[in-house]
Amino acid sequence: MIEIKDLHKSYKMGSNSLHVLKGINFKADAGELVAIMGSSGSGKSTLLNILGMLDGADSGEYTLDGVPIKDLSETKAAQYRNKFLGFVFQSFNLINYKSALENVALPLYYQGVPRRERQEKALHYLEKVGLKEWATHLPSELSGGQKQRVAIARAMAAEPKVLLADEPTGALDSTTSYEVMDLIQKINDEGNTILVVTHEEDIAHMCKRIVHLKDGVIVEDKKVKQVRADQYV
Amino acid sequence: MFDRDIWQEIFNTIKKNKLRTFLTGFSVGWAIFILVMLLASVNGMQNGFVGQFNDDATNSIFVRPGTTAKAYAGFEAGRRVQFKNDDLEYIKRSFPEDIEYISARYYANITARYKSETGSYPVQAVHPDHQIIEKTIVTQGRYINEADQINKAKVAVIGRKVAEDLFNNEDPLGKFVEFNNLPFKVIGVFIDEGDDNAERRVYAPVSTYQRIYGNTNDINIIALTYNPSYDLTKALEFSGRLEDLMKRRHKVSPEDQSGLFVWNYAEAFDDISSFSAVLKAIGIGVGFLILIAGIVGIGNIMVFTIKERTKEIGVRKALGARPRQIINLVLLESIFITTLSGFVGLVFAWIILALIGPNIETPAFSNPSVSASTVITATIVLIIAGVMAGLIPAIKAANVKPIVALSDK
Repeated sequence: MIEIKDLHKSYKMGSNSLHVLKGINFKADAGELVAIMGSSGSGKSTLLNILGMLDGADSGEYTLDGVPIKDLSETKAAQYRNKFLGFVFQSFNLINYKSALENVALPLYYQGVPRRERQEKALHYLEKVGLKEWATHLPSELSGGQKQRVAIARAMAAEPKVLLADEPTGALDSTTSYEVMDLIQKINDEGNTILVVTHEEDIAHMCKRIVHLKDGVIVEDKKVKQVRADQYV
Repeated sequence: MFDRDIWQEIFNTIKKNKLRTFLTGFSVGWAIFILVMLLASVNGMQNGFVGQFNDDATNSIFVRPGTTAKAYAGFEAGRRVQFKNDDLEYIKRSFPEDIEYISARYYANITARYKSETGSYPVQAVHPDHQIIEKTIVTQGRYINEADQINKAKVAVIGRKVAEDLFNNEDPLGKFVEFNNLPFKVIGVFIDEGDDNAERRVYAPVSTYQRIYGNTNDINIIALTYNPSYDLTKALEFSGRLEDLMKRRHKVSPEDQSGLFVWNYAEAFDDISSFSAVLKAIGIGVGFLILIAGIVGIGNIMVFTIKERTKEIGVRKALGARPRQIINLVLLESIFITTLSGFVGLVFAWIILALIGPNIETPAFSNPSVSASTVITATIVLIIAGVMAGLIPAIKAANVKPIVALSDK
């Protein structure tokens, strides 16, 4: 599903150049649940940005579902993001004046789905994350865990190939974290490919595979025995 | 454009920043208000000027004899030129195509008496055509006609003031009044929109007065109107030909400025037109400069809004919003605020003008008003202004990197 070959990325910092990714090789098949770990400065966020087409690589190849991702215009990148990727952020990033339903429907709006159909679909995904009754509520009326579940529903609504979660439990307490992870595991069980960036060991072990990043290179890539989150809920 | 989601967003941002939106909107509304008021004032001034000149037909030409300043064709300088009845006939015959109405004027002063009332008034002895040239409005009776002219009838059309002075409350029509001890029959009373002084005047047939004053053929002035279909250039060209002809006939040097005068209303009118055109241009200029301040204000508020919503825009882009969609959103919001507030200004100006405009009636200023074209122009200007105000913020918004939203933790 995702294939990266010899990916390099450096940032210009004044006269110095900061080499962040120093030749990453990575492959994820459909249906995988991968945790990307590493301390801050290891390059995991940069990797995620490149995977999310929010940033371009300096060199190397990136193929997503057989489509080479290279030299995209803003418009093209937006279309690909919309079609291929679902984002879950640490700080949820819900739009605060839109109801839960409207937030979930937003990626569908950018896909050009008609309003009625959009709302039906959004409601379906809200139901999936167990928040159907909260559809008309604004984000400010939801708890942190609920907000993240709305965000996950939003990421899922466009039916993307890959779900990218950047520290999805970073702003949540442990119980809610496990709830969210339980949801992510269930979505993965349905066959969706998910990449989770985290620095928490227990969260990482709820995935099926852990990739360790250090100083811009992958130092460890291992399959793990998945710890189910529902036992903690 | 008529997407519910877009409007929802626009209303939301406006609602969140009510005061800020109001204040910036006010600057645009105020600018449009001033622009419309300025244009209306110029319009009012123009109306005033036109009203002043409306006293006479605007296509009239007056030919007046003078005293030569140059020796020419065997005559010495300082010769007085005198027009005769022949001149009138000659002009009429020479320009059958160009002339609409033509009349001579013969000036005299009289002492009028009716019963015990007396007064002295100027008389203009004229042809029937003079009524149209001078735009004389006869309120009672009739004006001088051809029959009076042929019969050298002792008839008079008197001004409203003359009628008031001499007849008090009596009906002057058909009464005989003595002009320098000769009885004249009052056949009509006239008013003049231009000024009161004109109403202290008496009109009589020119033939009658020429006979009374020693059987002369002299006339003082020739007044005429040219073909009303003529534009300014054609009118000026005609008065030029007329001047050449009359100078040749009276042996006045073509270079002589004082031998005789041809005075064309069109020239004066042209001066006024260009004067009010300049005023209008100044009005538009000032209005636009004020509007620019308003546009900058709107641009400013939009930049702020974008800055506040950087994260949201980043999220939208991550979710698949194309740059075009972001630009449209910002532009539409900007156009919406500008047009709405501009219209409020426009409506205010319009209401004020509708209320007070018709009441303003001074010699140089009357009925300031806004035309439909002004309203349409203002609307177009507003939409363009909205685009201009929103353009920079929109481009800024489209350039927001979604990465910013992601890394902003």
